[in-house]
Amino acid sequence: MSQASYKFDKTGRTLMERLFEPPTPGKMSLAGNLVAYALLLFWAAFVLFPIYWVIITSFKDAKIVNEGPYFIPFYDFQPTLDGWRAQFLTDPYCDPYAVGRQLVLYVYNSLAFLVSPVVKIDPMQPAICKVLLAYENSLVVSIFSTVLCMIIGSMAAYALARVSYAPRFSNIVIFVLLALAAILTSTYLGVHWALSAAVGLALFFLLAFSIGRFFKARLGNNDILFWMISQRILPPIVVVIPIYMMFQSVGLVDTHLALILVYAVANLPIVVWLMYDFFRGLPIELEESAQLDGATRFGIFWDIVLPLTRPGLAATTLLTLILNWNEYLFAVFLTTAKAVTMPIMIQAKNTGERGTLWWEMSAIIVIMIIPVIIMAIFLQRFIAKGVLLGAVKG
Amino acid sequence: MAANPGVPVFFDHVQKSFGSVRVLEEFDLTVAPGEFLVLLGASGSGKTTALRILSGLETASSGRVRIGERDVTDVLPKYRDISMVFQSYALYPHKTVAENIGFPLKVRKVPKAEQDVAIHDAAAQVQLETLLDRYPRQLSGGQRQRVALARAIIRRPSVFLMDEPLSNLDAKLRGHMRAELKHMQQSFGITTIYVTHDQIEAMTLAHRVAILEKGVLQQLDTPANIYNDPANLFVAQFIGSPPMNIVKGALENGTFRMQGETLATRVTGSAADAVLGVRPEDCAITVPANAALKGEIYTTELIGDHTLVTVKSNGSFLTVKAAKDFVAKPGDAAGVAAATDHLYVFDATSGNRIR
Repeated sequence: MSQASYKFDKTGRTLMERLFEPPTPGKMSLAGNLVAYALLLFWAAFVLFPIYWVIITSFKDAKIVNEGPYFIPFYDFQPTLDGWRAQFLTDPYCDPYAVGRQLVLYVYNSLAFLVSPVVKIDPMQPAICKVLLAYENSLVVSIFSTVLCMIIGSMAAYALARVSYAPRFSNIVIFVLLALAAILTSTYLGVHWALSAAVGLALFFLLAFSIGRFFKARLGNNDILFWMISQRILPPIVVVIPIYMMFQSVGLVDTHLALILVYAVANLPIVVWLMYDFFRGLPIELEESAQLDGATRFGIFWDIVLPLTRPGLAATTLLTLILNWNEYLFAVFLTTAKAVTMPIMIQAKNTGERGTLWWEMSAIIVIMIIPVIIMAIFLQRFIAKGVLLGAVKG
Repeated sequence: MAANPGVPVFFDHVQKSFGSVRVLEEFDLTVAPGEFLVLLGASGSGKTTALRILSGLETASSGRVRIGERDVTDVLPKYRDISMVFQSYALYPHKTVAENIGFPLKVRKVPKAEQDVAIHDAAAQVQLETLLDRYPRQLSGGQRQRVALARAIIRRPSVFLMDEPLSNLDAKLRGHMRAELKHMQQSFGITTIYVTHDQIEAMTLAHRVAILEKGVLQQLDTPANIYNDPANLFVAQFIGSPPMNIVKGALENGTFRMQGETLATRVTGSAADAVLGVRPEDCAITVPANAALKGEIYTTELIGDHTLVTVKSNGSFLTVKAAKDFVAKPGDAAGVAAATDHLYVFDATSGNRIR
């Protein structure tokens, strides 16, 4: 058998090869390029069309919507401002001064609250522009809960990434059982809650250091992490009624605080999970070196770890912000009037007596999209690669 | 700069296990004040673990660690007054060179003006003054290495720890940095413990070398003694390039027997299983009749100032460092001769040297 039969060398390219084989190994073939760009164009249209549709729908009225699909303004249909007018003009408080008035109200009421121990001043009654109020609620709730969630979540994730925990399984069981017992005794037997809690705690330490020592099984960081993530496996609808009752009993229903707390808790697993991965990805020598140089653990976290995980922080913040911004389920249960958020406003346009007011709904959706786009543009500058370059590579 | 008197470092019966794996066994070591001590060993020998136990990044399973008068076994790393240069340099990528060098002072809340003086002083020691505003990613490997050094020297620690600091550099730069490190250590007089797997670094830098294998200290001595007077077979084979030639056989009253041949040695005693060792540069190629070790030439490699000759003898290979003008064809019959003074004999079962 001749050696030549194994050869695979040639010069020049046939037409088919020009079409289907890449010119250099790092490129795509002509046919591949065409297919890829065609798919991308199709996908871009697929993604962008709903946004376009919402924008044009906000300039339609009942007649145009019902007559069926018109796509091109001024050509297919004559745009009107009905949808926008319904939001801002029919509501007597939605005048050009609404934003300023709301700010004045905030400052006045804050001052009134501050001096309330000394001088009693009646708070100013809000003159509510509904859309503006919902917008403001959404902004306040999303931003504060995101900040809270990021602070707690990234610290928890860092602790899980760098400190090893080994709680005894038996002690966790004892704690849960005693907590349950304390709750039951104070609820049904009329024992004062502080007393039952104190006794429960004392018993816990007693049992943990006596019986608990005979059980060897311990949990590790992975178990804790999994437990955190598992909180997200349960659908929120399961817990929404207990949460509503809890907030009702402490009088926080229809307040910003309730939504901020619930959103922060609901998103904590996601933040911990994502940030854990980012922290684990950091070379540990940097932190060890900082330790030897005399930095405190918080100093290392603040000065070394956080700046290096900025892309991760930005991405996680953006994700949490969007989740909070769009959240509907908890908002529908926990708000009635004062703390209503934008998704509730949108849903409210699905009226019983007049049907769905698509044009008004679209107008609200357009306003709702704007801050998300601004945030995405602002944060994507931080989601750049190469931050770790020069850290540990020679 | 005034020479630092240096502090001694003591490892006292230090043991370390990770789960059921013993990585360091009964480690006893005293480092003299101002000494440059090299921990040498293959990967997994426990040398880095010993260093990390001294730094406090790892805690010993048992035993004590002392720095000078202080027992630091239960002291946090930051209170041990140690600075460490990592193999990866561990520079903070988001900080400039000046901020990197000044970091130990910043966390100690040293006044800014004082920091600047110290930063410039430390940078001058390693010729980095012109690069203070750069970021680590804009530096070459050698420059990053210098930044790590400057960060280590800026606060004048009691002890320097270096974990394979030169292994990420190319060969030429490594030689240069080695000389600089040695010079710097001499001028500062700070006790230095240096971990490496590179025997050249160990031999050239150290006052004393500690050789570790499988968590056990094999020998602690000056480079010359380590080379000329190895304590056991492991040390003998680990040090030296190309490594020592090994021949298996038996020792009878000071005479080494192998494959029907005998060789007189300078040792006394007997061992049923013995190993004869001889360094390539102590051997010479002769005619087969004049040597106990016979075989045929396998390859010759011209290195430059000498020629490495590999001789195949009874199925094993012997390396001989011959003159640079040595010429032979593969397959030529050859004998390997060595002076009795240069023969080392080891017990094959324990690996210990028979003297």
